[in-house]
Amino acid sequence: MTTPKLVEHFFRHEYGRLVAMLSCRVGVQNIEAVEDAVQSALMTALRAWTHAGLPDNPSAWLFRVAHNELMGELRQQTGRRRILEQNAKEDRGAPENGPEIFLAGEVRDDLLRTLFVCCDEAIPVESQLVLALKTLCGFGVREIALRLFTSEANVYKRLARARSRLRKVPPRSGELTGEQYSSRLPAVNKILYLLFTEGYLSSHTEMAIRRELCDEAIRLAAILAEHPTGQAPETFALLALMHLHAARMTARQDGSGGLLLLEEQDRELWDRQGIQVGLSWLARSARGDHFSRYHAEAGIAAEHCLAPSFQETRWDKVVECYSLLERIAPSPIHKLNRAVAVAEWQGPAAGLAVLWGFEPPTWLAGSYLWAAVLADLHRRCGNAQTAIRYRDVAFKTAPTPAVKALLQRRLRTGSPVPM
Amino acid sequence: MPKQKYLCMQRSQPGGKGEKPSPAQMQEMYAKFNAWKEKFQENIVDMGGQLKGGKLVTSEGVTDGPFVESKEVIGGYMIVSAESLEEAIEVARGCPGLVSPGSGVEVREINTP
Repeated sequence: MTTPKLVEHFFRHEYGRLVAMLSCRVGVQNIEAVEDAVQSALMTALRAWTHAGLPDNPSAWLFRVAHNELMGELRQQTGRRRILEQNAKEDRGAPENGPEIFLAGEVRDDLLRTLFVCCDEAIPVESQLVLALKTLCGFGVREIALRLFTSEANVYKRLARARSRLRKVPPRSGELTGEQYSSRLPAVNKILYLLFTEGYLSSHTEMAIRRELCDEAIRLAAILAEHPTGQAPETFALLALMHLHAARMTARQDGSGGLLLLEEQDRELWDRQGIQVGLSWLARSARGDHFSRYHAEAGIAAEHCLAPSFQETRWDKVVECYSLLERIAPSPIHKLNRAVAVAEWQGPAAGLAVLWGFEPPTWLAGSYLWAAVLADLHRRCGNAQTAIRYRDVAFKTAPTPAVKALLQRRLRTGSPVPM
Repeated sequence: MPKQKYLCMQRSQPGGKGEKPSPAQMQEMYAKFNAWKEKFQENIVDMGGQLKGGKLVTSEGVTDGPFVESKEVIGGYMIVSAESLEEAIEVARGCPGLVSPGSGVEVREINTP
């Protein structure tokens, strides 16, 4: 007696799929009832399947149970009866027995539609992100809090804000207009970008947890890029940048979870196939007249991926991309990164010159990044005293032991290191 | 298969329901449960199931539950076979989710003549 195993993330992805399909059918105003019905269907499945084994088509089974549960609940809510009748005509089938087969395209459409609905400009962006993680990726509140480094109470608060907005969406307007789709595309791309960077840049020690967020972002972005709605150069550039970063992700850590500098990384560990996929998206993104921040960032990532070694990196191209990025999306972080690239290209003094006279905002001045870059550039310029001063600040503000270990390796100056 | 059968009854405190598990946790529970089922396949006679509402039938008539003045509710049952009570306990204890804060399992030998 062996029970067939379910594919990885089956429950989580079914959750997202079912929430999307059902909320497209009954209207996004009912998203809480939808989520409850889906949760309850998954619990029923857990009991039934562990007792009697898997049904022939687990996805269809789940849809049927969740759909019936939801219809029962909505029927009970007397005030909602009218809404049900209104939506009955648009209900694309699936009464008691439900369709046995789903067209893959239909599911993808529902997921996308829900993603666009989440990216309502009336919902604050941090609430959009939490809503997408909850409804489309199927993460629980605690799991979201863990991944976003925030409290569960805060996640609940952000969810409540998003839901209260969705409740106010007038019935029948669940169908977004073509215009709304195109006007929301930048917001959708931004959410996917945030989802990815939450995983990629996170200082979370567990690689698997970070990788999961990146994979979710890639999964949704790929669905978006395949759909006419999302077929924009910007989306392709976003996918390119995700693949090019993800391909190098595992090489960023050593065997014991310590962080590695770019020049220390074993380039053999980079995922060649992932890089190829990234480059082909980058090629597709090179059309139209809009050069987005995703184009610039994908360009930088591509330069690193294509360089045979750290020393042979085309730093001039990297600097060029950072300059473009700074112009499109001004941020002191981009200036700081450009200074690092310039230092590799034209030497540490030229790197320092980029930052000459630049007053960093307090959040940056107080961060280990700023201190570490200045410590490194001053050390290489031979300004030992200044270097030590910045180095001490960097050690003190390092967010995790892994970052601190990396800084200690990089910023050795010969003088004793304060612990 | 061992001869002696045991009735396992899941008891839990009413209202002591924890937080709803997330989909990822459910997947984990699914895997654990199947691993348990496989490990003890020789011992599991009847997977039983959840016990839902019902009625109490007595010589005085039929009444609604709760059936006894109990602080705990019997939420489910299953029948296992084992060589000894200790072994039956081991099977029950290994069942994921059966023994947790706020819930436990009562293991009783079934005396068949």
